[in-house]
Amino acid sequence: MTLTIVKNATCTFCGCVCDDIELHADGVRITETKRACSLGESWFKNHTAERLYPDALIDGHPATVDDAIEAAADYLLDAHMPLVYGLSNVTCEAQREAVHLTELIGGVVDSHTSL
Amino acid sequence: MIYWGGNPAECHPRHFTKYSLTQKGKFTPNGRKDRTMVLVDIRETPSGKAADVFLQVRPGKDFEVITALRALVKNQPIHPEAIADTGLTLEQLNDLVKMMKEARFGVIFFGMGLSMTRGKHMNSAAILMLAAEMNAFTKFVAMPMRGHGNVTGADVVLRYTTGYPFGVNLCRGYPRFNPGEFSTVDLLVRGDIDACLVLGADPGATMPQPAIDHLAKVPTIVLDPKVTHTSRLARVHITTAVTGVSAGGTAYRMDEIPLPLRPALKSPYPTDEDVVRRIKEAVKRRPAWLPMSKETVIV
Repeated sequence: MTLTIVKNATCTFCGCVCDDIELHADGVRITETKRACSLGESWFKNHTAERLYPDALIDGHPATVDDAIEAAADYLLDAHMPLVYGLSNVTCEAQREAVHLTELIGGVVDSHTSL
Repeated sequence: MIYWGGNPAECHPRHFTKYSLTQKGKFTPNGRKDRTMVLVDIRETPSGKAADVFLQVRPGKDFEVITALRALVKNQPIHPEAIADTGLTLEQLNDLVKMMKEARFGVIFFGMGLSMTRGKHMNSAAILMLAAEMNAFTKFVAMPMRGHGNVTGADVVLRYTTGYPFGVNLCRGYPRFNPGEFSTVDLLVRGDIDACLVLGADPGATMPQPAIDHLAKVPTIVLDPKVTHTSRLARVHITTAVTGVSAGGTAYRMDEIPLPLRPALKSPYPTDEDVVRRIKEAVKRRPAWLPMSKETVIV
């Protein structure tokens, strides 16, 4: 088990997006979060690289990612007015893909801002 | 500096020390000593300890207070009775206006206590107007205290791709914007939508019950690092890597500065970006719902 140190890591827990955090990780979990606040520390330590959940679920049953993606595409394309919602805990790159997907399926795209 | 309807000491713990209150700047060489902080809220929170002045507004009276401030800024007379039920006195408001005008650079950070209570976006609009009007006297800005990691990025990305910041309807093939009509809670409560893709959010834990009921009725697809409340009522759940922990990319800080993410772990799951792109490719393989070129690229 090797210790990796990431300097100037970015915390995405709250809107402050602090980018001066030093993370120590042992490959599976983050063991130390220098300069992070209490919220950031629990955010980083709460997430691990373990496989705790099934890759995908369809109607509550474990499924492969490929099948889940096909099912998702069918549902979204069949809908008259699909909604793409959230976008706040994902990267800008994912948000951009989501906007393009919304255009292809002819839907509504919305974020937490509207709440 | 005015914090309005927010509690940064508990919700954004490093806001004071890293960004706003105690940092030394070119025009504020003494840091905290060169700044005046006002906290406006309906109750005294731990943030009050950091403030020079605390103004306690009665719940639901923010709009009235802001409107009175806008009048005072322009030297319009205000009858004390008109603000009697806001919980503040005319003297307090006059003092605040004097402080604001004397500032060399003023900022209003407004939180959910303002934007999510009675009045909602009318309150936000009023506070933005106040900041705009203050620029006749001094430099003044207003900034929302954003809660979730990259919600600012969502505003920015939607703006540069569609021209609008949120609640964008692309049903006709071109973007339309109308908060209240195309915003999520309204769409769900009215039951307008017939499928939903949720990513980077857990509406099942945060939305009003009628909205959740509708989400459970229609096919919902969830992309999330964990099996969430929303996943339990969804037809499809796909586990993804955690943004910033095991998925790289870009995130916007609440002052719209884009920052690179430096993930420390390798996730066994694909990233949100990857999964959305694959759903997009799967949609492209099917016949288009609207007669248009399949290769239309918007970014």
